[in-house]
Amino acid sequence: MARPGTSDRKGRLLLVEDSPLRAVDPRTKLALSVCASLAVMLSLEKIAIFMVVYALLLLWARLMPEALWQIWRLKWVLIPLFLVDWLLVSLELAAIVTLRIILLTGVFTLFVGTTTPSEMRLAMEWLRVPYRYAFSLSLAFQSVNLLDDEWRAVREAQRSRGAWAPRWSGWRGLVDQVRDLVALTVPVVVLTTKRAWAMTEAAYARGFDSPRRRPYRRLSMGGLDWALLAGAVATAAALLLWR
Amino acid sequence: MTGIVRVEQAAYRYPQNDYGLAPVSLSIGPGESVFVTGPSGCGKSTLARCLTGLIPHLYHGHLTGEVWLDGLRTRDERLWRLAERAGLVFQNPAAQMLAVSVEEEVIFGLENLGLPRDVIRERLEATLTRFGLQALRNRSPHTLSGGEQQKLALAAIVARQPPVLVLDEPLSMLDTSAAAELIDHLADLARAGTAVVICEHRSEPVRQIPDLRTIDLDGQAQGGQVQDLPLPPSDGPPASCRHSILRPPPSNGPPASCRHFALHPPTSDGPPASCRHSTLQLTVSDLEVRLGGRPILPGLSFLAHGGQVLAVVGRNGVGKTTLLRALAGLQKHTGSVTVDGGPPDLGMVFQNADLQLFNASVREEILFRVPDPDMARYAWLLDLLGLGRYEAVPPLLLSEGEKKRVALATVLMRGPRHGVLLDEPALGQDAAHKSRLIRLARALAEAGQLVILTTHDLGLAAGADRLLLLGPEGFVADGPPAQVLRDDGAWARLGLLVPDWVREGVTE
Repeated sequence: MARPGTSDRKGRLLLVEDSPLRAVDPRTKLALSVCASLAVMLSLEKIAIFMVVYALLLLWARLMPEALWQIWRLKWVLIPLFLVDWLLVSLELAAIVTLRIILLTGVFTLFVGTTTPSEMRLAMEWLRVPYRYAFSLSLAFQSVNLLDDEWRAVREAQRSRGAWAPRWSGWRGLVDQVRDLVALTVPVVVLTTKRAWAMTEAAYARGFDSPRRRPYRRLSMGGLDWALLAGAVATAAALLLWR
Repeated sequence: MTGIVRVEQAAYRYPQNDYGLAPVSLSIGPGESVFVTGPSGCGKSTLARCLTGLIPHLYHGHLTGEVWLDGLRTRDERLWRLAERAGLVFQNPAAQMLAVSVEEEVIFGLENLGLPRDVIRERLEATLTRFGLQALRNRSPHTLSGGEQQKLALAAIVARQPPVLVLDEPLSMLDTSAAAELIDHLADLARAGTAVVICEHRSEPVRQIPDLRTIDLDGQAQGGQVQDLPLPPSDGPPASCRHSILRPPPSNGPPASCRHFALHPPTSDGPPASCRHSTLQLTVSDLEVRLGGRPILPGLSFLAHGGQVLAVVGRNGVGKTTLLRALAGLQKHTGSVTVDGGPPDLGMVFQNADLQLFNASVREEILFRVPDPDMARYAWLLDLLGLGRYEAVPPLLLSEGEKKRVALATVLMRGPRHGVLLDEPALGQDAAHKSRLIRLARALAEAGQLVILTTHDLGLAAGADRLLLLGPEGFVADGPPAQVLRDDGAWARLGLLVPDWVREGVTE
């Protein structure tokens, strides 16, 4: 399977190209992700142990910096959540909820950081998801990154006409602040809708709805895939049987 | 009537408004090349979609008449069958990219033809070679320049080998060299027997396609018949382009009131002092911007004075927009940007007007967040920009040209003290819209303001007071357009072409 190197316009890495997981079949990564997601149901001790195993996997896969970055981006969700749970319920609940979110963030990195949208599409098709939906989902997924750019572009454009400025001018200014938000959201929605429409037209102009379609890429399981799956099964069994 | 494409009294109306395509009939033979032209809103893009079947299959407006493509009636056939016979390349290169790599982009269309893997591989390699894309095959399409993206869009369609190729304003976002390269490819396809239909505003770049027939939709938009016209004479620009549109036309210039009151409508007190003599000086020193670790603007330094229209020209992706954003204070940078020693107050009109518009009416849009609005200025702006009849219309329902003028009005209503920055003001505009926008730019400059614009349209740049040629290492030429446009070495260093009709139209 071809390994396209991708990065967006601002040079941010979308795929961790040097990860050994790039060479792994997307179905294997999907299975690993599902297993890791199910681990959120474990008790606190088992989650902590699983986190260690999972951290080792991320280190081996050279995904740790990316995972830590994703977790750092969630800091304003994680910190208040941890404090509220701790103060209102218990430290144990605060720890388990925080660990679960961190775990799910890591799962996201594992799959997204190493899989191209076309590989995702193939995996979804293998799962009998109709091509039309698999294609749309993978396209939506690869466009998520563009949303960031669109928010930034709209914010700048509004600033340049004096329609938006981040400021706090007391409660009286609250109405203005809400209107500022509209000033940002309307163009973003318009842009996103236009982009989605342009992609739809472009896809149909190249025969997207053809029943004769034959995929060029093929999925294939190698030794590493089976080894990873065996490791996942062994870890799951150990955690379930351990009392 | 025979032909691989046959249109019989086809007309279309979009569901949300009355715009669309007035009844049109035409026939295009196999291997024939056709240039469809006409002013903004005459239906060029609509016709392109009718020819390829996207109308009526994806659009739910009202289509009358018949369109036949290679013997198939488009309204009765599935879209994928029509897409095998006619490929469509769109105006915006970035918006039509569907894959995460260049080769995946080409493969997508080939998979949909149901071809065996070895044929796909063969066609992929042949296409990448033909369009010079081998070195870029693993790159994300979104990291390519506009010219490379448009070439890829064409390659992805051509790989499918449709007998008809339709292009909807394919050149409007390209620099002169990228446009020339694209036209070369189209000329080759035409020679090889593909019917090529190009819907475009500008006739000059498409001239070199052999045996090109011109169809002007303007005639039928006014109730007449489609006219086959001869191409404009090749020894000069078309009549509408002969006068540099940045310079006030001799007999039809801006109203006298604009010359002194560009930002201030007439009052009984006479022009404000700032209008009489411009003392504004923009000083840019060692301006450097890095995006994603890559230097975009490497240490630019220059001075600009109020009262001048300054045009910045350069290849796609060289950093023209980034420069304007830095001048407007929207882009982090090193070095300094000052006007008369202080922070600049420059309003910026973006390439994509959709970014700036969100209110329910043009009136609300222009007056939004303007404290104690000067209604005389408001009325004057409406008049100057021809927006009076749209006051109650939601801006997002207007045409692209009209939206751009509303965006300009919102910036001018705020009254930036030092001037305006216009990013590709001519994009997608016909000659009439361009001259309207630029008449205002000229009026602003004459009022002593700084007016800086970026453009790929060298006809537009030729009419500025000063032309800056921007390359990856910085400015490679700076001076009056007549001088810069004749500096062959500078243009060659950037790999940009100066079309003859621009060079010949420039006066000292």
